[in-house]
Amino acid sequence: MKNTLKQVFHSPKFLVGFCIFTSILLMMIIYPLVNPGNPLEMIGLGTFAEPGTYVSLYDSVGTKTSTLKLDGADVKRIDQVLSGEDRVNMLNWFTADSIDISGLDITDTDTLLAMWKANFDPSIRLQGMTKAMRNYYIRLNDNINAAASADILTVSEIDASTGETVEKAEINKTDYVNVGDVANVKTLPLGTDNFGRDTLKELVSACGTSIRIGLIAGTVATFIGLLLGLLGGYLGGFVDDIVMFFTNIFTVIPSFVLLILISYSISQDQRGANTIAIVIGFTSWVWTARSVRSQVISLRNRDHVNLSRLSGHSLMRIILTDILPYIASYVVMAFILQISSGILAEAQLSLLGLGPKTTDVPTLGLMMNWAMLYSAHLNGSWWAYFPVILTIAFISFSLNLMNTGLDQVFNPTLRD
Amino acid sequence: MKHTRKILSLLLALMLACSLTIVSAGAETVELPRNETLYFAGQQWGSINGWNPLSDDMNNAMGITQDAGGARTIMYETLYMYNMLDGSLTPLIADGDFVWNDAHTEITVKIKPAAKWSDGTPITAQDVAYTFETNVKLGNAKGNGYKPYVESVTAVDDSTVLIKAMLTDAGVAVNPLQLVCFLEECYVVQKAWIQTLEARCSNDTTAMKNDAAEDVVWSGPYTKYFANDQKVVLIRDDNYWGQDASMWGSLPVPKYIAHVIYADNAAGQSALKAGEVDVCQEFIANVQDLWLKDGLPISTYLNEAPYGICVNMPTAWFNLDIPVLQNASVRKAIAMAVDYDAINQNAMTGQSPTFADVPRSCMNPTAGEQATFDHDAVKDLQWVGNDIEGAKALLEAAGIVDSDGDGWREFNGEKITLNSCCPNGWTDWMAAMEIVAAAGKSIGIEITTEFPEWSVYQTIVTATTQTDYDIFMMWTDSATPAQPWGRIRMMMSSEFIGVEGNWSGNWGHYSNARIDEIIKAIPTTTDATELKNLYTEAVQIYLTDVPSFSLMYRPNKFHAVNESVWTNFPDSTDGRNIPPTDCTDGYGIAALYALELVNP
Repeated sequence: MKNTLKQVFHSPKFLVGFCIFTSILLMMIIYPLVNPGNPLEMIGLGTFAEPGTYVSLYDSVGTKTSTLKLDGADVKRIDQVLSGEDRVNMLNWFTADSIDISGLDITDTDTLLAMWKANFDPSIRLQGMTKAMRNYYIRLNDNINAAASADILTVSEIDASTGETVEKAEINKTDYVNVGDVANVKTLPLGTDNFGRDTLKELVSACGTSIRIGLIAGTVATFIGLLLGLLGGYLGGFVDDIVMFFTNIFTVIPSFVLLILISYSISQDQRGANTIAIVIGFTSWVWTARSVRSQVISLRNRDHVNLSRLSGHSLMRIILTDILPYIASYVVMAFILQISSGILAEAQLSLLGLGPKTTDVPTLGLMMNWAMLYSAHLNGSWWAYFPVILTIAFISFSLNLMNTGLDQVFNPTLRD
Repeated sequence: MKHTRKILSLLLALMLACSLTIVSAGAETVELPRNETLYFAGQQWGSINGWNPLSDDMNNAMGITQDAGGARTIMYETLYMYNMLDGSLTPLIADGDFVWNDAHTEITVKIKPAAKWSDGTPITAQDVAYTFETNVKLGNAKGNGYKPYVESVTAVDDSTVLIKAMLTDAGVAVNPLQLVCFLEECYVVQKAWIQTLEARCSNDTTAMKNDAAEDVVWSGPYTKYFANDQKVVLIRDDNYWGQDASMWGSLPVPKYIAHVIYADNAAGQSALKAGEVDVCQEFIANVQDLWLKDGLPISTYLNEAPYGICVNMPTAWFNLDIPVLQNASVRKAIAMAVDYDAINQNAMTGQSPTFADVPRSCMNPTAGEQATFDHDAVKDLQWVGNDIEGAKALLEAAGIVDSDGDGWREFNGEKITLNSCCPNGWTDWMAAMEIVAAAGKSIGIEITTEFPEWSVYQTIVTATTQTDYDIFMMWTDSATPAQPWGRIRMMMSSEFIGVEGNWSGNWGHYSNARIDEIIKAIPTTTDATELKNLYTEAVQIYLTDVPSFSLMYRPNKFHAVNESVWTNFPDSTDGRNIPPTDCTDGYGIAALYALELVNP
């Protein structure tokens, strides 16, 4: 046993796969400790907040400020609202409004802005200008005004008893706060999803659920496949005929179609993650059964099996001690692949809206389903689905690597 | 032998390839000049069955849509055009305003002398009368819908129509509001053509309804041009009577109206973004990103949130056939715990006024409907949502507590387990149901979501009784001349209990004798103060008993336009008073006459 393990861990493929899988597992254990709480809690109002660090604007007003005189702060402020394209569009506006622009350099921000302020009038309707364009200029004008406003901003509060506005704070252009001093700062490494949930927290939790689904599905499928394969292969005859009859039927019916039909017939409030896992297991045992059976047939007439039979050993004992150990390595490899395909099957089902009920636990498939329903792929919210795809890819990649590694160790024809 | 096999297999492969090319080349297409075509999305799903305006199942949204919120008058026309912005009716086939008699039981409508059918014959009062009679005879949606309110439509002379209301025993109109709806909802179909159809179908009603009407006579500015499973195209009728000075004075600008049949909303939105669609009737999440982030020439009727005119309220209904939901405290507690701001931000992405802006009632957010009831009188009954403590206190007071300590409350000794349902794929509703389920969790009532397919969902919801869905979503009426009365009836009238195939309302089977009286009284009440009292009382009952609770305010028609090709679409600031109804519905069709090319 020790030797086998040593051999296994010497396989570089297995090792890489194992490391990736372990780090995913570690992440699942450690991250909830760092960031505890319900992964389905809707922390953000609105959909798809971008990844980044969010600083409470309310709290930062009261926070101790330091004065920093940074070169180019004003330029940056203007650049934030005035891109190169905006500058060209401003020129277009001047042209459309037949204003003389000879000698105007659009990189000269001050002159450009002065000219803009002198000439822009939101109420003018230029010939041939679309509503979208007109709205664009109004927004641009508002942004410029906001960025180029007075040096000091005043924050005031409405006194509840008198209804008067009371000045609370003044903010200078050179005031800075240290993020560490602000009471409420939230980092969302992967932003929020369509419900305003913390995507990373949800992803970590979903990863756990999906692996659990994979494990259950893999166990069920391997168990059924192994049982039928062993019985059919060893007993042969009538039992084998029956086993093969069912196996063949299940081989010709596409298992995914079967999976869809079964999931569809279970009403959604009954569809927990475990139910889905068992359903997946029940539809994916076929290939395990077939290959176990063929291996058992080749083992059935080996000398040690015959000897055992002559010695009067029971059926159970022969299968468990004389046959199972010879196919154990194969079964383990098949099990690993079943886990991987179980996770993929859940993702596919959920993507079709046939996955586990949605209010219970997050799963990788459900996360993708909601991202797709909210057209995250169309509106550029990559953080809602891409990390999920990557996670699924990593999980099945690591499991497949481990499988290939094991294959190299156990399969004599592949051994170096 | 070997050679023969090789040649045979090659031949087979060739045959397969050939047949594939033939099949794919078989789909015919029409090329439409882009700058003469106005493209739509979000109206037509699946291929059309025909152009028969007397049928309910032509699945032809562009050609045939008779909706009280504004009928689509591009091919067939109504007497009047409804404008949801101010509730006004603009004459189309009719000449001038309609006239009530003094008893408020009859409407007289004149027909425009210029109004003509596509075959050049004038539109007469006989056409209007015969259309109504045929609708009733065929038992189609318009016939059945108006039979209880309209006693008869008769032609006084060629250009005068008299519409008589169905009267109650007391001699007043059952519902004069519905008579006004009739004027702007129902198409006028040519009598001569109906008679041709009757002769063709030997007067068999089923055959008449199934006829595809390829030979139909129309009166609108467009007519059928091309339709297959990928596209529906209508072409302008350059002989359209409406270019007469007494109507529009010109032809509509686009020569073609085309609707590509998209697989789903996402496909339609991609096309809108690409500039392949000009007018999009689809809910677009975060629509403002299209111009703010992507810088696309796309805009909506209002420049700021909620971007459209919200006129109805998608509503969650409590199933009162479920014992625990017969308890008003449970209903109100669930409704109080729901985070409506989250629904507004997530499901509608802010494209809806909040319940803080427009407190809940049976009325939509338009000023006209809001003025019908006394806001102060129902102030104490309002709830803002996300009030977990308030909801818990209400449940405790009603004796619905968690007695076995498992974190879930019990009712009659059993753990309360409910589901919240809506059709699969209706994203905004699904999100809303998720948020309702989350609210249940926070007050100790287990609610799980369930999203069946629409085909299953609709049969269950409209059944006489059902115990499958506990909390489920349905719509409420949009703005029509009969609102908010129609919506109150839809939300609470017990007349819909026990109706098989109930599409009319009260899907939760709520029953209250007083509200039935109010629903009966409102249409015939003319005194303004009394009317306001009745409306206020109805809202009071609604907020006390909570038979259902609205989750958001929503436009009847979404209206996002891409100005890559066409411009001068209706805009809230242009002073033209054209409603954002996709340039096709009700008075919204006026937009078609004012469109301009961006690059002429």
